[in-house]
Amino acid sequence: MNQVISQNGQNNPGGMKELISFRIGAQEFCVDIMAIREIRGWTPATALPQSPSFVKGVINLRGAVLPIVDLALRLGFESTDASDRNVIIVADIGGQVVGLLVDAVSDILTVTDDVIQPTPDVASDTAKTFVRGLIAMDGRMISLIGLERVLPDLELEAA
Amino acid sequence: MDPLAAIRDTFFQECEEQLAELESGLLAMEGGDQDPETINAVFRAVHSIKGGAGAFQLESLIRFAHVFETALDEMRSGRLAASADVLKTMLRAADVLADLVSSARAGQEGGHPQQAALSDELKAMSGAAGADDDGGEEDWGDFEFQPMSAAVDLPADTPPARAFVVRFKPRADLYAKANEAALLLRELTRLGDSNVELDTSEVPLLTDIDPEAAYLTWTVTVSGDTDELAIREVFEFVDGDCELSVEAQGASEGAGETGLDIGALLARVQADAIPTIETAPDEPFELEAPAPPPVADLAPVAPPPLSVVSPAAEVHPEPLAANQARKTEAGATIRVDLDRVDRLIDLVGELVINQAVLAQRVMEAGLARASAVAMGLDELEQLTREIQDSVMAIRAQPVKSVFQRMPRLVREVAAMTGKPVRLVTEGEATEVDKTVIERLADPLTHMIRNAIDHGLESPEKRAAAGKPAEGVVKLAAMHRSGRIVIEVSDDGGGINRERVKGIAIEKGLIAADATLSDEEIDNLIFMPGFSTAAEVSDISGRGVGMDVVRRSIQALGGRINITSKPGKGSTFTMSLPLTLAVLDGMVVSVEGQTLVAPITAIIETLQPKAEDVHSLGGHARVISIRGGFVPLIDVGMALGYRATPLAASDGVALLIEGEGGARAALFVDAIQGQRQVVIKSLEANYRQVPGVAAATILGDGRVALILDIDTIVAVSRGEMRKAG
Repeated sequence: MNQVISQNGQNNPGGMKELISFRIGAQEFCVDIMAIREIRGWTPATALPQSPSFVKGVINLRGAVLPIVDLALRLGFESTDASDRNVIIVADIGGQVVGLLVDAVSDILTVTDDVIQPTPDVASDTAKTFVRGLIAMDGRMISLIGLERVLPDLELEAA
Repeated sequence: MDPLAAIRDTFFQECEEQLAELESGLLAMEGGDQDPETINAVFRAVHSIKGGAGAFQLESLIRFAHVFETALDEMRSGRLAASADVLKTMLRAADVLADLVSSARAGQEGGHPQQAALSDELKAMSGAAGADDDGGEEDWGDFEFQPMSAAVDLPADTPPARAFVVRFKPRADLYAKANEAALLLRELTRLGDSNVELDTSEVPLLTDIDPEAAYLTWTVTVSGDTDELAIREVFEFVDGDCELSVEAQGASEGAGETGLDIGALLARVQADAIPTIETAPDEPFELEAPAPPPVADLAPVAPPPLSVVSPAAEVHPEPLAANQARKTEAGATIRVDLDRVDRLIDLVGELVINQAVLAQRVMEAGLARASAVAMGLDELEQLTREIQDSVMAIRAQPVKSVFQRMPRLVREVAAMTGKPVRLVTEGEATEVDKTVIERLADPLTHMIRNAIDHGLESPEKRAAAGKPAEGVVKLAAMHRSGRIVIEVSDDGGGINRERVKGIAIEKGLIAADATLSDEEIDNLIFMPGFSTAAEVSDISGRGVGMDVVRRSIQALGGRINITSKPGKGSTFTMSLPLTLAVLDGMVVSVEGQTLVAPITAIIETLQPKAEDVHSLGGHARVISIRGGFVPLIDVGMALGYRATPLAASDGVALLIEGEGGARAALFVDAIQGQRQVVIKSLEANYRQVPGVAAATILGDGRVALILDIDTIVAVSRGEMRKAG
């Protein structure tokens, strides 16, 4: 049933969403597929000075300079030791194109809004900043991530 | 677009050019230019605007242009002297004309508040007041007609004669200015059948001869379809450096006997030219012997430059046509959509990167340097570089286009403030990328307003200080070490440092007990929210002050400085990159990272000896270079790549000169080479990083960071102060 709806789910005003799910360590996360431009393999990044630790550096994406965010570190987990097995999800966040370093991309999910449960009130700041909701699927828990705050606050540190 | 609208568009575009021409011509005349061609150009500009306006029935524009034109015509014919007052009125008239054009462009056929008054002034000047009010009827139709600046000393309507006898006696000056009599004679012989005689009677004995004097006289009989004007035109550029007489003759004469053999002369000239030309395209043949096909393809691309010589030298028999042909040749341009140029530039940028990647792959594949592939790549590299340079040159424009907007601004601000001001511009021909020019207009406008409003004192104060009543604002552009430097200076009172400091304290920008150097006080005016205007005036002082100027200059990759001398005036100096797209860089490595340092800032590189480097405590070090000490900045530490400084003998120092002329040495691990790199924005997808100006993509496809040398120097200076 899900599969059928997914064919025209994107613009459905009834609240159908397509999400792309990925793994960081043992955790599963997902983001709205509309923000995703492409998925590509890991290439070594050029380190950026004066940047937060979760910014791995920049890579060349067909002539554009693409910053890479170690999503594990950004979400407060252990840093990803990037290798060829890792994957970069290229996402468009408010006009800026950013690469998200994750362990693996697992699936495309089609869900309705009511499947997404609100985030329980937990103490973690990162949870409040990034997690937009939780999805229970086949006995797994998948956190829906909002990407707006993934890049470091521009104004704050630019001054 | 509807065709008429397109034509209209073109008309207004041309109007802009004509208006610019008009204004610069009038300004040149105000500056004492006596050249009749200048007044002709000014006249033509107004005339063309009138003609075009006629075609579109822009009544008020036509009327005003007509009155203006009449006055200019009087001036052109010498009946109206080009006095300072007259020119001031004309400049105001040019402003009104510009306003009329822009309102006509916006579709408002209103007229202008000053139009009537100025019309009367102009009419009074041309002595035609009231003569014909509704003029402009006579010749709209022929707006393509361009009045010609025919040589004034002869009647233009000489009936074509069968033959002319031209007596041509060069003076020594002609040769001294590197003119060549043979070339002039060759020109002349192209006008028709000709016979050249050389009179050597004045040549003295060898013992008396002055090698730099002129002794020869030629007499050339030219027959055929030509006239006196065409003949005189041949000698246009040596006018005054020779004795020249042209006489019409009823019938052509027989050929002379003792004449110089022009045929032989020509043959010699060509024989001289051909070998030098042919050797150039030949060289690649020898180099590329194993691979002839590509060369064969290339050959027709570069036809022998001989053909380039001939059209320029060719003189049409019809003098008017000839003159016009030369004009169009000199300024032949096409209008191209800027988007297309930018697309081309982007593509070439990609090509450069791609070529570098390819070159690296070839190196990695272990092909010998002398292999055909490697050599082909070298050629490719040269070609790409040339393409890139030419493409960049398309975007380069003289700063004139923004400078010429300023005289009007100065006139307006001067009128509003009641301060007489003279604007002096220098280096208008300095070329820089179009984007830079476009984005310069606002900051420059702001700075010039400021210079007049805040910089210059009132006429009374100037008189008290013993300065001439007329203030001078100078706008200068120049190229300096791969950047363009633009200076805006005034001869006013300079910065009132007491007051600036007082205001900064009052506004809480600095602590009340802060001790600041004069330079630091001067730079306070760039602080956001700083405005010294005691009362908010119309002209400047809306709180958006110099900080906006500084930000827009920085956004262009430039820097701005101020120097001020009390009682003498202030100078703002902006230094901007010539282009926003490429950069010549020195590729260096630091702690395993590849970085690019802009080569324009580097004075020299050196391998420091351990004994030349001295520690000042903490991590601060200085290096002694030829007796002087400059701070040694460990780039790896400045960027946070390493925590402990590199030993002095393990690296290479780049001696650099920063914006204010301050020197420092950047310490890096090694130099990899020198390369032109394409600048890629870091801000587009990320944000500004302190110490990093931009990024680029190197031959291996990886991103390298371009150092922002001034920030690195400034930051480490701050840290040094903290550490000390």
